Amino acid sequence: MSFKLSLRNVRRSLRDYAVYFITLTFGVCLFYVFNALESQSVMTFLSGGNNSQMVEAIFILVDVFSVFVSVVLAGLILYANQFLMKRRKRELGTYFLLGMDTGKVARVLVTETFFIGLAALISGVALGILGSWALDKLSVAMFLATPPDLFTFTISWTAAVKTALYFGVIFLLVMLFTGLSVSRSRLIDLIRASRTNEEVSQRPLALSVALFLLGCTSLGTAYAILLIRGLLRIDLLWFIMLGLGTLGTFLIFRSLSGFLLRLTKGHAGYYKGLNMFVLRQWSGKVHTNCLSNTVICILLLLAIGVTACSVGLNDTITAAVGGNTPYDVTVINYGLEDGTYQEADVAQLFRAIGVDPEENFSSVESVTVYYNEESVTGIIQPTIYAVIGLSDYNRLVSARGLPTLESWEKPVDTPNAIVNGPAADGVMVVSDEMIAQLQPRRQMVNINYKGNVQETDLLIRAALEHTESFGGDLWLMMNYKLDNYYDLMGSKLLVLYMGLYLGLVFLLTAAAVLALQQLSQAADNAQRYELLSKLGAPKSMRRSALIRQVALAFLLPLALGVIHAFVGMKAANDVINVMGHVDSVHSSLLTALFLLVIYGGYFLFTCLGAWRSVNQSER
Amino acid sequence: MEPILSVKNLQKTYGGKGSRTNALRGLDLRVFPGEFVGIMGPSGSGKTTFLNCISTIDSPTSGSIQVDGQELTKLRGKTLSRFRRERLGFIFQDCNLLDTLTGLENIALALTISGTPAHEVEHRAKEAAQLLGVEDVLNKFPYQMSGGQQQRVAAARAMVTKPALILADEPTGALDSKSTRMLLEQLEELNRQEGATILVVTHDAFTASWCQRILFLRDGELYRELHRKGMDRKSFFREILTVMSDLGGDDSDVL
Repeated sequence: MSFKLSLRNVRRSLRDYAVYFITLTFGVCLFYVFNALESQSVMTFLSGGNNSQMVEAIFILVDVFSVFVSVVLAGLILYANQFLMKRRKRELGTYFLLGMDTGKVARVLVTETFFIGLAALISGVALGILGSWALDKLSVAMFLATPPDLFTFTISWTAAVKTALYFGVIFLLVMLFTGLSVSRSRLIDLIRASRTNEEVSQRPLALSVALFLLGCTSLGTAYAILLIRGLLRIDLLWFIMLGLGTLGTFLIFRSLSGFLLRLTKGHAGYYKGLNMFVLRQWSGKVHTNCLSNTVICILLLLAIGVTACSVGLNDTITAAVGGNTPYDVTVINYGLEDGTYQEADVAQLFRAIGVDPEENFSSVESVTVYYNEESVTGIIQPTIYAVIGLSDYNRLVSARGLPTLESWEKPVDTPNAIVNGPAADGVMVVSDEMIAQLQPRRQMVNINYKGNVQETDLLIRAALEHTESFGGDLWLMMNYKLDNYYDLMGSKLLVLYMGLYLGLVFLLTAAAVLALQQLSQAADNAQRYELLSKLGAPKSMRRSALIRQVALAFLLPLALGVIHAFVGMKAANDVINVMGHVDSVHSSLLTALFLLVIYGGYFLFTCLGAWRSVNQSER
Repeated sequence: MEPILSVKNLQKTYGGKGSRTNALRGLDLRVFPGEFVGIMGPSGSGKTTFLNCISTIDSPTSGSIQVDGQELTKLRGKTLSRFRRERLGFIFQDCNLLDTLTGLENIALALTISGTPAHEVEHRAKEAAQLLGVEDVLNKFPYQMSGGQQQRVAAARAMVTKPALILADEPTGALDSKSTRMLLEQLEELNRQEGATILVVTHDAFTASWCQRILFLRDGELYRELHRKGMDRKSFFREILTVMSDLGGDDSDVL
């Protein structure tokens, strides 16, 4: 019996459950997508090369973040469940009145939770598989010119099982809470639930103004501390800054309605259409809402900040990719085992293992760097491991069409990389006369390919694998451009994925909390809107009042959140200034797009749902 | 004199083929400007259906309703809303004030909905409040008022737009006897001074005794009509009781 009742309840209150369900589905979907990263073709590709460390880092971070994310989502789901329970108090009361015992009522509810959880899990994972595929496509597209042709549609069973496990625990918790709250509820409270109204207290204008100003002051102080001291000096004052920011946000939300109400009351617009009604509706709920508004505002700040920073940082990394690897491959000759310098004809070595330099290479340039002797060069920095002659340097850079160093007075850092990889760092340019007095240290051979970079890379790698004797006694190291590139791509993906993962979860949580709040209030508002209809307020007037009411609830935390994020990113910018900017137009646009789609989507959905619930009886 | 409300052969049928309920079966009546009319009848007599039809909340199956010469049954959507807010005023039985608005704002709401210029709103709302003796609760919220005060604020809201017809559905149903008397006195005053046309639906003989004319319904038809015609309230009250006992039905409603 109770099983049938649960099933019917779910089907009947599908609309009530819609937001809950959609949020669950999105949560599951996000969780799956980011935990399924390891099955992505890009990841498989990356971990195949020398970049398994970066991939490893991504997986570890996903694991760590997933725990955090699941805690956030668990909070959200419990909150949502509590809202649904509140809405159904009367129904529960009726069950009790009809003589159902507590255990049975609890069983009905728990079964309902189970069904919804199961449905959300299935649809979430299904959506997640699609999302994972889309993300894969996106990641591949970000590999610029070298999209590998290993693109497959995969389902990650590990991720699916992990998702089911995490959410299973969350749903168990929800069921536990549901059962507990049912067994503790009193019949009289359930029956009279719909009659209790929030008391609207009117506070004097002076208090509202004072609170508002106090809120602005503490926010301003927090901003000042942040901007002056920067983001990363974490000490006592940093926590004070956080506290002041939170307090300021709270106070502003707390006093804004009273402030605005009193401000507009003398204004002619107050007595126009349903303006008065909308404002009062909003201010009537402000006491219950100001705490959640503060939380939502902070969530939005995190969402905007994290998303924008990760996208901005990602752009910065992309910009770095060109400069550090000027050649398709650099062969570094470390000499003999005891470190004795010995020059080699690298083209000849390649020919020996079956890679024809004439056919495959467009240029082969050998350069020698020398030991830095302080007595000759006057360079005392310990980080400088070698020096290069002026003419050698100019030969390298002019071949790449870069500006040469003309007049030479004293040793300078190489303005442009002379080889691929870290070997290019710690080299200074000295005069050719000095070079004549120095011992050669290493030979470095820069090679550019004729054909496709990837194919030639593979050709060389394959040839190297089949030979034991490349270079004979010499110690040689290859530094491929693509390796560096994939390395950077790895960091790029790491930053981007983690940013998106957290940002989207925060955004989803903020939007869902708002939507749930507004929808549950819409149910209370149904009576009021019905009265407006009886008083002759036409449909369009009521609809616009409702939309304005929902918009107020959605836009105020967003507005303050955007201001917070703006200031926060200014501070973050100073930290990463060395590398570039995080608040680029690109990152702002992408963040705005996410906001628009998710936040806007929830807004629209809330408007529709709220309108439906206040407009049920209409002639 | 032209009637302000004229109902002809009004019929309302609920239900489908199998189980038909005739709530109204050919009702005819007319209300003239400045009248204070009561509608009485036992449960199931069609009072509520009748009121719902006039107040345009429900639509009749057949027949015609004209308010001020305008045919209601043909109104839809926007014109219907407009008619409702410009020509009708409502007073309902239970709490029908918006709990989020103050007394003054509740009265003002009827004006702002009908698009009254903002600078007139406050003045007119205060005027209406004065007429119904609720000036002292204008800045209070409904939960801070007594039931009687709430109902008088509702009455002020109903008349502030100067409607052709004020409809009251069991206005005293939730009030104690003192508040009942006060509300009815104010309504009578409103009727006499402002010439407002008021139609009260009630099953309470005491409330009905304030009216000038009472229409009794039974089984969806007009059963009898009583005129006060200068009678004092007490004798009128007795006459009402007599008709009610003839009517039968729910005796419990008599006193």
